[in-house]
Amino acid sequence: MKANKDAIHLDTSGFTPNLPRRHRVGKLWLVIFRFATVVGLIALATLLLNVMNSAFGYVAVENKVDPDTLAVNGVELDDLPKAELVRILQENVSAGLFRRLENDEPFAERSRLDVYNLVLERVVEPRVVQQWSLQDSLFRRAQIEAEVAANYPKAELEFKSWLDKYFILNPQSARAERAGVRTAILGSLWTVGIAIVFAFPIGVGGAIYLEEYAADNAINRVIRTNINNLAGVPSIIYGILGLAIFVRALEPLTSGTLLGLADPTTANGRTILSAGLTLGLLILPMIIINAQEAIRAVPSSLRQASYGLGATRWQTVWHHVLPNAMPGVLTGAIFAISRAMGETAPLVVIGASTFINVDPNGPFAKFTTLPIQIYQWTSRPQDVFRNIAAAAIVVLVLLLLSLNASAVILRNRFSRRLD
Amino acid sequence: MVSQVNTRPYANETLTHRAALRRRPKISETLIQGFLFLCGALSILVTVGIVYELGKESLLFFTRQQWEETNRTLVEPMDAAQTTFKMTETGMGFGIGDTIRLRREATEVIDIRGDVVTVERAHQNTTAEAHTVGVEIELSRQVTLAEFFTKTEWNPQIGKYGIWALVNATLMTSFTAIIVALPLGLCVAIYLSEYASTRVRSTLKPLLEVLAAVPTVVYGYFALTFMTPLLRAIFGVNTVEIYNTASAGIVIGVLILPLVSSMAEDALSAVPQSLRQAAYSLGATRLETAVKVVVPAALSGIAAAFIVAISRAIGETMVVAIAAGAGPAFTFNPFKAAETMTGHIVRISGGDLSYDSMDYNSIFAIGLMLFFMTLGLNILSQRIVKRFREEYE
Amino acid sequence: MHRIALVLLIVLTMLGTACSGNTPTPAPTQPASPTQAPEPTAVPAQPEQSGVLPEVNPLEVSGNVVTAGSSTVYPLAERMAERFYDEGFKGQITIDSIGSGAGYERFCKTGETDVANASRPIKDSEVESCAAIGRTPIEFRVGTDALAVVVSQQNDFVTDVTMEELALIFGNAAEKWSDVRAEWPAENILRFIPGTDSGTFDYFVEEVFAKDKEPHLSAANTQLSEDDNVLVQGIMGSPYAIGYFGYAYYAENTGTLKVLSINGIEATSETVDNNTYPLARPLFLYSDAKIMQEKPQVAAYINFFLAYVNEEVVDVGYFPASETALLAAQQAWVEAVQ
Repeated sequence: MKANKDAIHLDTSGFTPNLPRRHRVGKLWLVIFRFATVVGLIALATLLLNVMNSAFGYVAVENKVDPDTLAVNGVELDDLPKAELVRILQENVSAGLFRRLENDEPFAERSRLDVYNLVLERVVEPRVVQQWSLQDSLFRRAQIEAEVAANYPKAELEFKSWLDKYFILNPQSARAERAGVRTAILGSLWTVGIAIVFAFPIGVGGAIYLEEYAADNAINRVIRTNINNLAGVPSIIYGILGLAIFVRALEPLTSGTLLGLADPTTANGRTILSAGLTLGLLILPMIIINAQEAIRAVPSSLRQASYGLGATRWQTVWHHVLPNAMPGVLTGAIFAISRAMGETAPLVVIGASTFINVDPNGPFAKFTTLPIQIYQWTSRPQDVFRNIAAAAIVVLVLLLLSLNASAVILRNRFSRRLD
Repeated sequence: MVSQVNTRPYANETLTHRAALRRRPKISETLIQGFLFLCGALSILVTVGIVYELGKESLLFFTRQQWEETNRTLVEPMDAAQTTFKMTETGMGFGIGDTIRLRREATEVIDIRGDVVTVERAHQNTTAEAHTVGVEIELSRQVTLAEFFTKTEWNPQIGKYGIWALVNATLMTSFTAIIVALPLGLCVAIYLSEYASTRVRSTLKPLLEVLAAVPTVVYGYFALTFMTPLLRAIFGVNTVEIYNTASAGIVIGVLILPLVSSMAEDALSAVPQSLRQAAYSLGATRLETAVKVVVPAALSGIAAAFIVAISRAIGETMVVAIAAGAGPAFTFNPFKAAETMTGHIVRISGGDLSYDSMDYNSIFAIGLMLFFMTLGLNILSQRIVKRFREEYE
Repeated sequence: MHRIALVLLIVLTMLGTACSGNTPTPAPTQPASPTQAPEPTAVPAQPEQSGVLPEVNPLEVSGNVVTAGSSTVYPLAERMAERFYDEGFKGQITIDSIGSGAGYERFCKTGETDVANASRPIKDSEVESCAAIGRTPIEFRVGTDALAVVVSQQNDFVTDVTMEELALIFGNAAEKWSDVRAEWPAENILRFIPGTDSGTFDYFVEEVFAKDKEPHLSAANTQLSEDDNVLVQGIMGSPYAIGYFGYAYYAENTGTLKVLSINGIEATSETVDNNTYPLARPLFLYSDAKIMQEKPQVAAYINFFLAYVNEEVVDVGYFPASETALLAAQQAWVEAVQ
């Protein structure tokens, strides 16, 4: 943009457009802005890759008992008949375990393959002695093989995905290889279920009141400000509140003794019910605010038309406003669910159990949730727990992503239908 | 979803029937309205509940007298009139002027020589009693508001109750988070709203929001397994401890980045095009328009975004619980371990839940402080938005 | 819309690769047990029911057992509970690792638990609290721990300390390693200790600091945690870090930690058995006769524990209790259920 010399000559002596420099500065800052965005994206990628890195990789597996030593009369373990396998099992496991296996299904009725797998699992006992990250596994394969040959001569190298079917189906265990997230997932589902059952009706009700019924007087202004403030309170405060109210003060109710559903000597308030109610309180402001926005977005012409036909306020709300606002309300609810599912701090304060491997059987059971499981496994120093923590993170993130994706789909589908 | 409407509903009705419509009872309406009001008012109940519970236990924290075990016992029996006694040699020490308790009787220490103690008996409305051998000696501990707010050592087990150790660590992690997230977030927001094409913006914005959807415990894992080793590799294994506030702070910064960028970008997008075009027509470059016209116009929204992000950083718990440290320490070195307010609450409540101890009550006092800090910030942000928001028609 | 489909597609592919990455061997495997410094000597080869205890069949036991307490006892309790489940127990056992002190609270003050796990004997005041809620605690000795004082593998200057040096290292008199022994480096001592609710903490204060916890807690650069794993993580990160916890936590991390000998004595099963290792301490379960009678699953659990603990204790990382102590525990059990 050079100055046109044939244009009108103004006295520009005091004014230097200095265009080239300004453009240079502009380009420099554009680079900075782009760089900032790239940094944000790199952070996201690093986060996800770091988790992936630990969730898959090579492992060196060693057998506690060498299968060759179990050969009978020169016949390898693989070829032994069922009777021999049963005998090997009986000699090598504890009497109580053998009794229990017999009780589960008598050995006479088990297939040979079944018994063979049992021998592998309980006698040969393959264990992971060393694990490597995905990055190492992909790029340093030769070095890993050399390391295994040097340090673990009896071990076999295989590629393991720490996130597999067994991981999801197994209950928690002290041994990392056997540990799974089933108890945690069920605990998460129970607590979030209770939270949404508690918070959704109350939240939508409150939003309806604030948008449809409330006059602009002092009390309602206070309520509005209050809800906005509550949305910004750290989640741990809700945990403390839940501890004081649900675990302590309302203990007869939350422990189940009031309804006679629990043993009074050892029941306490640290149950799924308390956890669910606390999470419900936490997501309540979020649901109210989202529902408010959705209700506000319904055009007033719809309401006016309804009033014009003689409908009462509640009829208008129930039959016209709410159905129109429902997609927005549901989307907000789903985002609230995904927030509740990822919360850890309030539940730690309330008291999730350290060791619990039985599925929750009702709202008065002790609980653990997926984020808490991840927290506990991350706190353990052994490397192998990093792997299963990463696998659990993958499960959690997938769960949340699918929840959020379904919310977005819902929103898109309904908004298109309205057009 | 409009219900069926009969266009000529009452054409064949009589007048009385029409009057009946007007006399439709409103009791159910009022009841429903009342119920909905209660739903809305529940939020007030929650706030009141928070303040009440935190306040009640904090009050206990500041007023109650806690009896600390000294691991010392009486060596000889003592009758109700003696003023000196001998205690075991091992155990915690105490001084002149301290209040000690034997069984139910409180006494004040007047003199100590070696293991012989002289006391004034029957203090604090207790009666002097005879005590046998082996009675445990307990030391009185009480917190004062002055000590709470001015001292810098937090160690309740030995009677140190200075909150600044914890607040300092919170401020350090939040400050690190702020210097990471605020400039980056603002730059990203400016890029997305002023420079990026619609297609780029509609891909990048949700991607960055994925960062916000990740649970905080995953960030904690990230801080411990990636950020800390990275910092140790850069700055040396001896400078950076394995638990430190810098790595927690940086990761919290990444956590709040999408918050800043989304809210700031919304504020920038809300500025009408007419302002930008006016600036262009005066010959401004894109950068100058963005920085000198759009940003000042959206300042209230940007400030609100900053404050919400700061308040989120202060309240962040899991990242610091996993990566920042497990012992209160008053230090300005970001590479050393220090426990924040939220980390302390999690550690204490994860351990025991003895309902009557100083530790339990201290959770509430710390929680109350946290609540007021974040509440203050949120109110501030709302005020700023209201005050400085420019309404565009 | 197609963006969402893309996201879902990515999600499904990841799920697919995850599920297809099955290893051919079934999942259950044992964790790596690196060679443990003390070689086991007193481990019975076959499970012998000592004539004192009646045999318990876990298949016939159900109901819930609530336990809580010492983080030192936790790995052992966890192992026994898993074995109990493995052999057919149909109920639910919960074990909370919160520290001996907190475990006693839950057992004696609030009455929430059936069994308290502890790494220190019960105090008189705690017995009184129990009496106040109608419980008489019965002590069952289940094992012995050799308190391990550990440093990182990167530490190349310390292998042995005396008890007096321990008091200096963990107390507030010394700040750098060179303050304790002049030939050690002039670097700050980074201390990692169990929290004050922990029986390990109480024991250490009693043995090393003559029951005075003040110098121990007011030492510089101290990190406390009831979670021993947090301590392990902290210690292995620096050559100038030091800490202490139950031996099992060292045994799980021999690759990254180094255990010190005290007064020249290493922790082996002999030195622990004849009490020459200065920091050997007992591990207990506590319960109450009424609970054991009203909840037979609690009695069955304790019976099972006492019967098979010697088979598992060394693998977990601790040391067996002496024969007499174990026998006394079994006698106590028999008397309690009558």
